[in-house]
Amino acid sequence: MREPLTGKRFLFTVPFEVTGKIRYTEQIGQGMGRPDLNRRHVLGGLGGLLVAGSLGFAALGTGADALAATGRTRVRYWNLFSGGDGSNMIAMLDAFRKEHPDIAVKDSTLQWGSPFYTKLAMAAAGNRAPELGVMHMGRVAGFSPGRLLDPWDVDLLAKYGVRESDYNPALWQRGVIDGKLYALPLDIHVQLCFYRKDVLKKAGLLGDDGRMIPVTSTTEWFDVLKKAKQAQKKGLQTIGLWTNDQNFQWWFFVAFYTQLGGQWFNDARTEVLFDTDKATQVLEFFRQHVTDGYVIPGAPTGEQFINGAPFTWEGNWSVPVFSAAKLDYGATPLPPVFGRQATHAESHSFVLPHQSGRGGATNEAAHELAAYVVRHALQWAAGGHIPAYTPTLSTAAYKKLQPQNEYVSAMDHQATEPKVWFAGSTGILAQDLGPLVVSSTMGSAKPASVAQRMRNQLVKLLASKNPMDGKTAAQGGAVA
Amino acid sequence: MTTAVQVSKRSRRPWTPSQIVLTLLGVAVSAVFVAPIAAALFTSLKSEAEAAEIPPHWLPRTWTTQAWRALWSTGNIGNWFINSLVVSVLVTAIVLTVAALAGYGFARTEFRGKGALMGVVMSGLMISPAVLGVPLFTTVQQMGMVDTYWGMILPQCAPAAMVYILYKFFQGVPRELEEAAFIDGAGRWRVFFTIVLPLSRPSLAAVGIFTFIASWNNFLWPYMVTNNPDLMTMPNGIATVMNSYGIQWAQLMAGGLMAGLPLIVVFVFFQRQIVAGVAHTGLAGQ
Amino acid sequence: MTTNAETFVVSPRVRAATATATVRRKQGFQHGGWFIAPFMLLFVLFVIWPLLRGVYLSFTDANISGEGARFIGLDNYREALHDPMMWDALGHSAYFTLLVVPCITVLAFLLAMLAHNIERGKWLWRLCFFAPFLLPSTVAGNMWQWLFTQGIGLFNETLGIQTPWLTDKSYAMLAIVIETLWWTVGFSFLLYLAALQGIPAHLYEAAKLDGANAWHRMVHITLPMLRNITGLVIALQVLASLQLFDQAVVMFDFGTGPENSTRPFVQYTLEQGFTSYRVGYASAMSVIFFVIIAVVALARMWLLRNREESAR
Repeated sequence: MREPLTGKRFLFTVPFEVTGKIRYTEQIGQGMGRPDLNRRHVLGGLGGLLVAGSLGFAALGTGADALAATGRTRVRYWNLFSGGDGSNMIAMLDAFRKEHPDIAVKDSTLQWGSPFYTKLAMAAAGNRAPELGVMHMGRVAGFSPGRLLDPWDVDLLAKYGVRESDYNPALWQRGVIDGKLYALPLDIHVQLCFYRKDVLKKAGLLGDDGRMIPVTSTTEWFDVLKKAKQAQKKGLQTIGLWTNDQNFQWWFFVAFYTQLGGQWFNDARTEVLFDTDKATQVLEFFRQHVTDGYVIPGAPTGEQFINGAPFTWEGNWSVPVFSAAKLDYGATPLPPVFGRQATHAESHSFVLPHQSGRGGATNEAAHELAAYVVRHALQWAAGGHIPAYTPTLSTAAYKKLQPQNEYVSAMDHQATEPKVWFAGSTGILAQDLGPLVVSSTMGSAKPASVAQRMRNQLVKLLASKNPMDGKTAAQGGAVA
Repeated sequence: MTTAVQVSKRSRRPWTPSQIVLTLLGVAVSAVFVAPIAAALFTSLKSEAEAAEIPPHWLPRTWTTQAWRALWSTGNIGNWFINSLVVSVLVTAIVLTVAALAGYGFARTEFRGKGALMGVVMSGLMISPAVLGVPLFTTVQQMGMVDTYWGMILPQCAPAAMVYILYKFFQGVPRELEEAAFIDGAGRWRVFFTIVLPLSRPSLAAVGIFTFIASWNNFLWPYMVTNNPDLMTMPNGIATVMNSYGIQWAQLMAGGLMAGLPLIVVFVFFQRQIVAGVAHTGLAGQ
Repeated sequence: MTTNAETFVVSPRVRAATATATVRRKQGFQHGGWFIAPFMLLFVLFVIWPLLRGVYLSFTDANISGEGARFIGLDNYREALHDPMMWDALGHSAYFTLLVVPCITVLAFLLAMLAHNIERGKWLWRLCFFAPFLLPSTVAGNMWQWLFTQGIGLFNETLGIQTPWLTDKSYAMLAIVIETLWWTVGFSFLLYLAALQGIPAHLYEAAKLDGANAWHRMVHITLPMLRNITGLVIALQVLASLQLFDQAVVMFDFGTGPENSTRPFVQYTLEQGFTSYRVGYASAMSVIFFVIIAVVALARMWLLRNREESAR
């Protein structure tokens, strides 16, 4: 070093030796010769306090659960809602608490995605499960119903005002496995076609009711895109398709494949019925958006829409985002370009994680809480979700919600993943097939060959065993 | 203040052409390195709509602190901050304690099987949560420590590398010092605490600083072992919870700066110590 | 000093004292087991035990619930060797390492040379080059994800290009490499800077007297003196890069990159364990990964020893 080795300077040049060894005499120089002992003492004291405080905190953090125990009936409730959904859920829980002071609800919000299911599975397996949990319906079949989940007591639910007749029958049946109800639907959330009314009006694509004109074929659809493109701001894409996102591409694929009447497996789950011709048709449809220049691959869809792109396909959870941005927009189910309505749908549902001693007051309170939230789900609709409890849909308050009232019909033509153990939100099926769809849409593989690869993958998955019980889909009996 | 004067006097050297070129080059390269952080700062001072504008621009047109305010009012960022502090402080304290003891034990004491044990510990240099993630998780799960502070803390507290660094340092301390104390009748523990430890303050500081930075910034392990957003640390919360909302770039950048700025501010004040500490811990691996 | 005077008189008392001193001195260094006990406890619980457990689990079909695991011999390993996704993931980690390590080493060296040779404002260069390293990996990842995002990102905008960094498989890995360079080069930079400052000035002065120019001084003094540190930088970077995870998952929203083009090995392992619940299979992959890391580490030790021997 060029600077003279004096005082503090010297001190910190010590470690700068290439050998990495600190000569000990220099250490003594520093250890004993420093004048500012007071500052060191202060720092030391502060450090000690910090460590002590942290220790106290750490002790509390593990013990907080025990502190909450009281004489009241206690329902532990695990959910995966944060952000806007989270505050809506908490508002509903608070309302429940006010009406039922005898029930103590201890809610824990966990991170959405695979870790949530992992943790729920571990807790149920280790008999440390909460009384009530939330799950995506597509995941139920893979969750060893009967082993990791307990069935609902339908009579008890009826006592608290929730009956099968209050539901869309197809939706209710998704929660039924081997004749028992394992998942009580709270909502359905769907993929939607969002459109900007200001742009569509200029392009002459709005009907008299102020909504987008209906589209019934691919030709009509591309015609609509062409007109919109002429009317839109330059430099933006015409439609957001999440071309490089494996989840969205997979969801869109499920929607349009269902529009074509495509099947996945036979009922016994022994045979793959996947139709590669139909799949190719869907993949070519996606690809055409890119080749015709309506999509800027990889451009962020929501941002583009807010900036003036006329269309974007998104989940209904984007409703609060676009409403907050004060856009003049509408939302319809994905256009039935193959002649038949179908849009991808998934549902949040309540489940009873397995407890060996399930029953009694806590179990009843769990039923009561779930029924309450299901029946008071109007607030839930603010997050864009469609309440599963149909009486809510016919209330005047719901009918006034914009644009929710425009896409509520999606409830009646849901496109869902097959009911097998490897399906479900962010499950293995989506994880394996999603990237294949993306590769076709992005143009790095031909649609026909991708369709064949998807089929091969389905054959492989059908033969594979569920790690939770060592059974294949055919042996699993997880069929309604 | 005298040192400051000295420094400025010393640097009054003539600007040779080569120094001018080098300094300009240094400024340019520094600008490149600082630019992303500056961009994040500016974006955090935009409205969400402006932050998502196409095409983007560097400086906010309307300066607003909405993102920072929203961060505080809606998120659990305060929680995460405290969690990060609790975890990193405890990890640092525990690592310093056990690594100093072990380093000294290996360097200066004799017991049966020492060589073999040292070899085993050195093999630990190759193991991390990234390498052994799933088995480590199931182990911690069995201990019932998933989603607890201790589950986050303890697995970070057995770093073979830190033991090795202190081991090498203690080897360099002359034995005569300790021997003299033994002759005076001091016990082993007293020698360790009153003679050896005070000598090793810079090495301990180096290990402590490095451990704190590593723990504050650790993502993989806290990510694996916590699901409860109330228990998350800053890096984990920002990556998992905040990311799931999209289109909130201003808030995301504000949150990122909240997580990153404390260490950068500390760095500005304790630059020499930290630089020395990082370089020292790194170099000791030679 | 009274003791001084006493030592001249070789009294029996003193002789006895020296004898006990020798004993004490020896005893002082005995029985050090207690010093290492606390560390060993943590080490066994959180390093050794998980390792052994991982090896055991890798021979079973254990799932995440911890129930009903059966011994299945080498099936997991057999499957892993034929799992194209595993090889892909391993390839991504290796490819990343191949790209990042040379870049970081060269860049860190150049930055250190720059900072070392500018006479003014040393603290400023150090601060600027090192500050990114102080950011949590996820924050750095988020920043670059946003800089790289098409349309709203400032990276393309500033350079006036239209590269689809995050959405095209031919650029995705490059995006991670650029982010990693920015984020971590500061660490290696500091090591080089420390090493440069440790080169004795008299070497340069002597060379100057001999008439060596700047280039010769660099080739004949600086570079040879930095050989050890270069070996260290490369070794540390290789080990760290193979364990790529944080940046990759954050920049691609916990996905696998465009068409699975960036998923690193660590992520695939965790997915097998936590998404597919296949703890046994994931453990087998962990063991494979451990062996790879160990081979790299041992190779380095072997190289070091060889070099030391040839230096002798």
